[in-house]
Amino acid sequence: MARGWSGTIVHDGIVYVGTVDGRVVAVNSSTQSQQWSYSIDPPATIYTTPLVNGDLVYIGTYSGQVYALTIIEGTDRWVYPRSGSIGSIVGSPVIANETIYVSSSDGMLYALDTKYGDFKWKSEPLANKLWTSPTVTGDTLYASTFDGNIYAVSAETGTLLDWAFESEAGFASTPVIYEDIIYVGSFDRHLYAVEIGSDTPMWKFPEEKPADNWFWAAPIVNEGIVYAGCLDGRVYVIDAESGEELWQFESSDTQGKLVPIVSSPVLMDNLLIVVDESGAVYVFDLSTELEDEAVPLKAISIGDDVDVKSSFCAQEGLVYIRDEDNWIHVVDIDKGEVSWKVSLTVEE
Amino acid sequence: MSFIEVWNLIIANPVLNVLVALSHILGGSFGFAIIVLTVIVRLVSWPLTRRQLKSSKAMQDMQPKIQELQKKYGKNQKKLQQEMMKLYREAGVNPLGCIWPMLIQFPMWIALYQAIMSALATTPESLLGLAHRLYSWDIVSQAIPLSSKFLWLDLGQPDPYFILAIIVGGTMWVQQKMIQAPSVDPRQASTSRMMMLMMPIMFGFLTLMFPSGLALYWAVSNVIGIITQYFFTGGWGYLKFRSPFQSTQ
Repeated sequence: MARGWSGTIVHDGIVYVGTVDGRVVAVNSSTQSQQWSYSIDPPATIYTTPLVNGDLVYIGTYSGQVYALTIIEGTDRWVYPRSGSIGSIVGSPVIANETIYVSSSDGMLYALDTKYGDFKWKSEPLANKLWTSPTVTGDTLYASTFDGNIYAVSAETGTLLDWAFESEAGFASTPVIYEDIIYVGSFDRHLYAVEIGSDTPMWKFPEEKPADNWFWAAPIVNEGIVYAGCLDGRVYVIDAESGEELWQFESSDTQGKLVPIVSSPVLMDNLLIVVDESGAVYVFDLSTELEDEAVPLKAISIGDDVDVKSSFCAQEGLVYIRDEDNWIHVVDIDKGEVSWKVSLTVEE
Repeated sequence: MSFIEVWNLIIANPVLNVLVALSHILGGSFGFAIIVLTVIVRLVSWPLTRRQLKSSKAMQDMQPKIQELQKKYGKNQKKLQQEMMKLYREAGVNPLGCIWPMLIQFPMWIALYQAIMSALATTPESLLGLAHRLYSWDIVSQAIPLSSKFLWLDLGQPDPYFILAIIVGGTMWVQQKMIQAPSVDPRQASTSRMMMLMMPIMFGFLTLMFPSGLALYWAVSNVIGIITQYFFTGGWGYLKFRSPFQSTQ
C-alpha cells in the first residue's frame, strides 16, 4: 500500500513536510506547533520532500499533481495540472532558472514556471516510469532510469541531448553531479561514477564483489569524497576520483543486525549525519581522521519501533526527521538527544 | 520465528527469486517467467498429478459399475454410498485423491500472488521492500526492476479486456469436463453440472479482480492439465460425453 515518505525541509525556522494523510504541514520550530496545514483534495500520498523557493513551497503528489503553496499562510497559489493529473510523482522536484523540474511515473520530465505553474515543456518518455529526481547542472538536466540509462535533457527545451549512458543494471538512486561526474546507485549493488560524455563508467564501487544490497539513497559528494548510504546497513566513504574506499561504517542494532540506510546522509559544517531505518542518528566529525570501522562522534536514537524512510534535513545543530508514524523528531546534536517532537496526525 | 518469517523463508522468497531470475534469463519478460514457473510447478507436482490422473482413470473405468449401483440403489442414498465406497475400496481408489494436487496449489497461488505484487513493485514501498527479499544472486539484481508488460497485459493489474477471464474459465471447464464422470441420478447429475460451471465462473470472476500475472498462471496451468490428462487418460475423457441416456441407448 502506498503510504508515502515525504521528507523535511527547514526554511526560516519553519519545518515543511508532507504527511501520510495527504497534507502539507508547516511547523514552527520556535513554538513547536503547526503554523498551517494544507489538505490536498482528494487526499493524496506524498513521497516528495517540499521545496522552498521565494515565498512558495512546492510539493509533488503520488496522484500526479504539483502544488505551490504560500509559505506564510499555506494557501495554494497554483496547481499543475489544474484538472486531471500527470503520472504519479515520487522523486522530489528540483528548481533552477525559475523553473521547477518534475519527474513523473509516465516516464517524462516536466518543466513548469515556478511563479504561475505554467507548462513550459515535457520531455519524450525516457522510461516506463521515473521515480528518481532529476539533477540540474548549468543548462542540462540529468535523469537516471530504472532500466539503466542516464539521459541528458536540455533544461531550456526538454529535448534529449546527444549524450546518454547505458548500463546493464537499473539505477535505483537519483544522480548526483560533482565536477562533471555523475554518481548514482544501482540495483546491481554497485555505486557508479560516470564522467559526463563518457560511455564507460569511471569506476564502480565496490570494484569486485558487490555490496550486500542496493544503493537506494542518493549519495552526497563533498571535497572529493563520496558518502553513500546502502540498504545493506553500511555507509561507504569513497574517494570521488579513484573510487577507493576510505572508510565505512556499519549501522547495527542492539542485536548486531545491520539496519538498512534508506535516507541520504546529510552534511552540516564538518559533521556527517546518517540516519538509519530504525531511527538511529549517527554523527561523524569529518575534521578528525576517520578510518575503517569508524566510530561516530554521537549515536542518538529517536525512539523504539521507529521507521524512517524519508529524507531529513539538518540546520544549526538540529536534525529534523519524519518517521512513518507521522512524527517529526528534532534531534539536538550537541545535547545528543531528541530536543522535541511533534505529531502530524490530526486529532479526530 | 513467526509464521510469516517461515513462510517467506521457505515459500514466498524462493518463488519470488526464481521468478525474477527466470525473467532475466528469458530476456526480461516477466510473462514468460510466469509461464516457465508454471511448467516447473507442474513438473514438481507431477507425482501428485499422476496419482490424481490414475485415480480419475480408475473412476472412469469403474463408471459402468457405478452407474449400475446408482440404478440399483438410487432411491436409497445411504446404501448407495456404502456400496460405492465398497467398490472404491475393492478397486483401491480414493475418490478424494484428486483434491490433494488442488490443495497443494493453494500455497503456490498465494506465494505467486505475493511474488507478482512484490516483483512488479507497483508502489515505491513494494520496490523498497523487494530489496530485503531478493537473494544476492547477480542474475536477480540484474533483472530488477521488472517490466509488467506482457502481450496486451499489465501483469500487475487485472486484464481489462476479459480475454484472460474467458481463457481461465474455459480451460478450467474443459479440464473438469474431461474427468467429471456423469451420473445417472438426476439430482447428483444436476449438482455435478452446477459444480462444473461454478468453478470456472468463480475463477473467471477472480481473474477480473486479481493481477493478470496470477491469471496467466491459472490459464497456463489449466492448459498443461488438459494436455497431460489427454495423454494420460488417452483422449478427451468425458468431454465428448453428451448424456448418460445416449450412452446406454
